[in-house]
Amino acid sequence: MFDEALRMEDIHLAYRDLVGAMFSKPRMLGYFRGVEMDPQKELISNVNLSVKRGETICIGGPSGQGKSALLRIIAGLTRPTRGNIYYFGEFIPPEKLTALEVAKRQVGMVFQNGALISNLRVRDNIGLPLRYHKMGSPAEIDEKINMAMDLMRVRDEADMFPHMLSVGMQKRVAIARSWAMDPKLLLMDEPTAGLDNYNRRNLLPLIDNMRTLFKTTIIIVTHDLMISKELDCNICFLHRKTLTDPKPFEYWLNTDSEISRELFRDLRNSG
Amino acid sequence: MRVTARRNWQKFTLPAKAFHLLGLFLLRRTFGQQIALFCRAIASIFSRNRSLKTDSRNIIMQTFFTGVEVFPVLFVVATLFGAITIIEAMSMMGRMGFSDFVGSMIVIVTIRDLGPILTAFLIAGRSGSSLTTYIGSMVINYEVDALATMGVNPIRFLVMPSLIGGCIAMLIMNIFFSASAICAGFLVTKSAIYLAGITGVSADMTNIQLTWSYLSTEILNAIDLSDFIFIIVKPLVFGAIITTNACYQALNIQRDVRQVPKAVSRSVIKSFLYVVVADMVISTFYFVDYMKNLKQLI
Repeated sequence: MFDEALRMEDIHLAYRDLVGAMFSKPRMLGYFRGVEMDPQKELISNVNLSVKRGETICIGGPSGQGKSALLRIIAGLTRPTRGNIYYFGEFIPPEKLTALEVAKRQVGMVFQNGALISNLRVRDNIGLPLRYHKMGSPAEIDEKINMAMDLMRVRDEADMFPHMLSVGMQKRVAIARSWAMDPKLLLMDEPTAGLDNYNRRNLLPLIDNMRTLFKTTIIIVTHDLMISKELDCNICFLHRKTLTDPKPFEYWLNTDSEISRELFRDLRNSG
Repeated sequence: MRVTARRNWQKFTLPAKAFHLLGLFLLRRTFGQQIALFCRAIASIFSRNRSLKTDSRNIIMQTFFTGVEVFPVLFVVATLFGAITIIEAMSMMGRMGFSDFVGSMIVIVTIRDLGPILTAFLIAGRSGSSLTTYIGSMVINYEVDALATMGVNPIRFLVMPSLIGGCIAMLIMNIFFSASAICAGFLVTKSAIYLAGITGVSADMTNIQLTWSYLSTEILNAIDLSDFIFIIVKPLVFGAIITTNACYQALNIQRDVRQVPKAVSRSVIKSFLYVVVADMVISTFYFVDYMKNLKQLI
């Protein structure tokens, strides 16, 4: 129980709730709405997942299965239609489950497109949450920003605007921004999508460093199955609306299930 | 969990249930949600994350963003509008035999009513629309979501500075509007009379006795305390309406780029509507005031 970073019990998500939190509307409105019980209208149904502290887990599967939606549920951006979520053993009731509340539990998220604030320089992008939460004196914050930029090797681009950077660099800045907040649980949405092989090979050791040095729990949503092999972590699949048990890469490669036949055929053939 | 909440709701007593239903009814409407957004923005001023330096910088930047760029257009509009009012007042009132009321006419039209409304329209058209586009594209690019996952409250970070900055800019711009409508409007009228005189359009035009001392005395006689109160209250109310509406429409966009232009047009049009309605509500004060005076006379 205490070494648990995240536990999801019986999560359901209807298509109607996919839009997510609208900051224009009071959050209680969705709470008092009728519950959708029709399984036909559900994108995700009956998902159970338990992640230990310091563990890295990959969520795979073909696109359009709701992997990113699952990650948005964990980050609190989308409220599940039904189900309970425990962060570090602490239950957050659904009426309080918002992204701000989840972020207080030191959960960070890296978006697929980086989602950097486009009118701030890289340095200020990384410093924004630190300054907002007043995490230390200005000198400490500057030091932290520099550390984060060094870790993700974006120090040379410190005074650039996000639109001047390539996609890979934006992603690295986004990871640096999440890291600077000292997350205990880091959610990554497609960290390697749109990266060439060279950048991808550079990025994976950085994730690995973070995992070993800072004992961060990482959940990676990806369709790049080789990540799980290279990071040596368990992988589970979102298949037919539910999540399979996490298993190592070799298990999926060798077993004879529907998922393995669909997704691992090319990998098997290439050896 | 959702089920227990519904069960709790069924356990409510009758007045509580009625209150609950009334609240839900209001909050499901756009208007109720906008008022809720306004209240959350005001409440977020006092949140734990406040820091005077960052907040004041954001607010000052927002004030400049709202006010400064609209100023040239506003100055021209105000000057010509003031000139038109002065010319109309001089010509119409004299013909109808109400020459003593020239000052009140100018005060009522420029300072009291149309000044704040025209300023609000200009600011809604220029700053409200750009605010909606700015926040709307942040919503589309998941930047607002990213802010929320970092624990930065978007309402505090985006809505609150624009709300306060918008109110301050609106107040300053309204004072500028009234001042330039009267002062620059007077100069334009004077030069129009002069030009008409020398070009021979109408030689009698030079006979119009329009002097600054006459105009200013008339205006100062006509103005009273309620005007000074309303010149502060009206712009604050209008500024709050415009910025809250703009931010609401922007945050209400549902991940679709085509919704951004729609939200912008909704923001501007609804701001116009709400401003006129609010002006109507505020203006009933004068009506009540008039009725009171009437009773005393009788």
